[in-house]
Parts: sequence; C-alpha cells; structure tokens
Amino acid sequence: MISDNLIVERGVSAGDAWITIAPENVHSALGALKDEGYRLLVFLTCVDHLADSSGPFPARFEVVYELRNMETRELIRVRAFVDGDPPRIDSVHDLFPPANWDERETFDMFGVVFADHPDLTRILMPDDWVGHPLRRDFPVGGEVVEFSEEHETWQTAPEKA
Amino acid sequence: MTTEIGQGITVTKTGEQGAFGGELLTINFGPHHPSTHGVLRLIVDLDGEQVRRLKPVIGYLHTGIEKQAEALRWQQVVVVTDRHDYLSPPFNNLAYALAVEKLLGVEVPPRANALRVIMCELTRISSHLVWLGTSGIELGASTMLMYCFRERDTILDMNEEISGFRMHTSYIRPGGVMADATPRFLELLDRFCNQMPGNIDEYEALLTMNPIFRSRTIGIGRLPAEEAKVLGATGPMLRGSGVPWDLRKSMPYSGYENYDFEVATSDLCDCYGRYLVRIKEMRESVKILRQALNGLPDGPVNIDDRKVLPPPREELETSMEAVIHHFKLFTEGYTVPAGDAYAAVESGRGENGCYVVSDGTHKPRRVKFRSASFVNLQPLERMAMNHMVADMVAIIGTADAVLGDVDR
Repeated sequence: MISDNLIVERGVSAGDAWITIAPENVHSALGALKDEGYRLLVFLTCVDHLADSSGPFPARFEVVYELRNMETRELIRVRAFVDGDPPRIDSVHDLFPPANWDERETFDMFGVVFADHPDLTRILMPDDWVGHPLRRDFPVGGEVVEFSEEHETWQTAPEKA
Repeated sequence: MTTEIGQGITVTKTGEQGAFGGELLTINFGPHHPSTHGVLRLIVDLDGEQVRRLKPVIGYLHTGIEKQAEALRWQQVVVVTDRHDYLSPPFNNLAYALAVEKLLGVEVPPRANALRVIMCELTRISSHLVWLGTSGIELGASTMLMYCFRERDTILDMNEEISGFRMHTSYIRPGGVMADATPRFLELLDRFCNQMPGNIDEYEALLTMNPIFRSRTIGIGRLPAEEAKVLGATGPMLRGSGVPWDLRKSMPYSGYENYDFEVATSDLCDCYGRYLVRIKEMRESVKILRQALNGLPDGPVNIDDRKVLPPPREELETSMEAVIHHFKLFTEGYTVPAGDAYAAVESGRGENGCYVVSDGTHKPRRVKFRSASFVNLQPLERMAMNHMVADMVAIIGTADAVLGDVDR
C-alpha cells in the first residue's frame, strides 16, 4: 500500500484520479503502487508548464505516470514536479520495463534526465540534435531547412543561426 | 573491424565467440528493408544465422505530431491525429475526441456513438487486412495481398462515401462525427457485412492449414502470458498470449457494452496464435458491424452546443447569433476548461490512447499519443532471441507495428 506520507496532494481531473508525489520519492511510490496491483505503466510523459497561467505550479516540468490495475480496471495518474537544469528524476525502468523507451523519449523531447537509466540516449530525434523539441520555448518551425547553408551552423550552434 | 559488403550493408566482427565455433557478427537490418513495414532499423548480433542480440532503432518517421498539435486549435488537431497510425485513423480520432469530450464534460448522442463504432470496426478489419496481406507476402503466400487489398478497397470506398476521404478520414471529432451516414453508405455496409464472412473463409483456406505458413509461424516468436503483461504488450500481441484483455470489453467506451461479441484469444503465444487472433477479430468485427447497422438509432450525430460545433449552414442565413458562433469558432476556436484527461481505445494494434492537457486556452498545452506500436515493439528482442533471421521477419510482421505510430 502506498502510505499517505508519500502523497503530497490528491484529486480528480475530468474523472481521472491523480496523486502528486515529491520527485525524490518516485521510485518508492511507484513501487508501492505496483505492489498494490497497478502493474501496467500505460504511459509516461512530461508536461512543460512554462508561462502557464492556468494555475500555480510548483515547478516547470511535470512528469506524468499513468498506471493501470488490470484486475480492478482502475487507472491512477501520478505527477511529480521537477525543476533544475537539467531536471532530474529517478528511473523506474526496473519496476516497469516499458518505461525504458518512454523515459528515453521524455529525455529526448524535454531534456528530463532519468537517473540510473541503462541507455539514456535520444530515441526519436537524430543523435546530433541540439535542443529538446517539445519544450515550450522550442519554436514550431524553428528548424532550418535541411541541406541549406545555415543548416550546419544551426545544428551545431543554434543560437548563432 | 567493419567491412562493407555492398548495398549499404556493413558487417562488424565483435570477436565474441558464438556457440557454433565462429565469431558473432553484428549486422544492420533495415531501415529500408521491405519486411520492416516502414522504416525500422535493427542492429542484430548473429551467431551463424541465429539472433543473439537485437536492438531496434526508431525515429526515422518522426514527424513531430505532438509539437504540431500544440500550435493548432482544439478542432484542428483532429487532422494531425489521423496521420500517426496511418492505417487506422478513426481510432486515433476517437481517442483524441474522447479525451477532449472528457475535459469539456459532454456526451455525444447515441447515433454518433453507433457511427463511431461502425467506422472503428471497419478500420479494424482494413488494418488487419493490410497486416494479413503483407505478412502473407513475407511468409511466402504472395496471393494473400491480392485477396486482402480487394476487400480493403471496398472499405476505402465506404470511407470515401461517408467522409470524402479514402484514408485519412478525420471523421470522428470532439462533439460527434463529421456528417451523418448517407443511404448509399448503409447499403454498401450491408453488402459488406454479407460478403465478408465468406471472404475470411477464403483467407483461412489459403493460410490456416497451409504447411509452409504453419511451419514458418508455429512455435516462432513465443511470448508467454506473464512476460507479455510485464512488457506492457496490448492488443493481439497480448491476446495471442492467452490474456483476454480488450478495452472494448474490459473498460468499454462509445457504447461497446451494448454489442454482443467475443474477445479473441489464443493460448499458443506464438506468431500463429497472433494470426488466429486477428482472423477471429475480423469475424467478431463483422458481427459488431451487423448489430450496429441493424440497431442504428435515429437522431442527431452531433452535440447541440454552439460553443463547440458550428451551426448548420442553413441557420447562418436567418440567425445573427449563428453567424457570430460560426465566426468565433473559425477564427478563435473554442476553449477547453483547464485540466488533463486520458482516454484509450482498442485499436487494431492494441491500446491507442490520448492524453491531453488544457491550460484553459483555445489551443492544447500538451497532446500525448500513447501508441500501441511503440510499446509492442519493445518485446521484439525477447521474441526474436535464438531464432533465425528469416523467423525474425515473421516476428516483426506479427508484432504489426506501424512505424508512423511508433515515431509519431
């Protein structure tokens, strides 16, 4: 059972139950939920709350875990707010094997570093890519046309292009 | 030591000794290999011809759909959802629509639900047909493609009739569906429901007892039920391992609880089991289509909320308010209350879900697609271990990953 002192806040959003936990407790909290029967990690992702006016958020990045109990058919969403440069949180790939690729994707897209991940490399973007595309300060159309003169400069030093 | 052996294939000797007295060879499989159904690259360590290590490399079809969605208004995102799993657009539309409707707190009318079910089941059949046809080619039954694409074309004709598009239909939208079914669509659907069971018998006559097909699939790519669950597999991958988990039955949405159908499972846990599951699913889909067609309720196909959906065209000529709503919707769009929601549907490949976050504006803050193919590709190493290279092709085939869905 997940003990109450791990939970910072709990609530319901549009019918989905969620809890917030402190980022340093993510491994123990998800382990407790797994023992409780939430054995399937449906997805893991991140939300960038840069300049979000819809509420006060404790930190810029919100790492979201959606877990499912296949016996009781319940879902629970676990949030952990992380800050810092780069933002850091523990990996849960040893608890939920599908988290391996999800964490790589979140690292690739948001630059969130998952400590103890066995192979934290880019998964969708090219290996030499600079920046993390799903961050809100990465512009849509911010990519220079490939094979153009500026492309190489932009790839290596985007601030000069 | 790396040597180029022609046609872009490089061979690396690792120096590690294999069980057959030779060294392990690292070869590059793909990304343009025809059996990868898109652009999937595999780095394979071979001992003789047996797979000892396998590492999938993905990202070649990454199109930044999630980033684009953040720059579009809520109703415009539907168009990009079509394009990640390009073999089954209505599932992606439906997952997105259900998530947005959850945030808006609206419920679509029964006729819209029935039309959504019809489109989803048609697409499940067409997606399985593409899988069956292409897998047939890979496993030496090249006639399959002719048969399968013949029926798939009738489904695409129906898509065109109901939505105007053959593949990327964008038919299911938050608040309902694009348009009501035409009488010709219902006629085509009726004919399809009558013909399809006979066609499935034809496919089975070609493959189910075919000695070549059976020897290429039985016992190949075993994935025991417990491992399938731990590795997060969903859809035919999980049901082919004997786990009766189907979101349509387990966590029903869009009125699936009103239809009478069985969840197809197979205890074989191998490529042949997954084949049997998909064939059975096509038969069950035809059953659902028949029930949906016979019990199609009357009534509107959209919610009656002018803040979310535009007013009918004829109202614009008489009502000033309708003109204002129309103008507001097509310039600014609608806003969605702040919060987040997750909705999942059972697509032909497994659980396709959509997680949307709203900050209360007219554009989403975050749209995340949980794609079945992305998760189902991870057990590939486990399944292909110690099999021949040719069996690996069968295993990739029955995993049925659509690379557009993997990379989004």
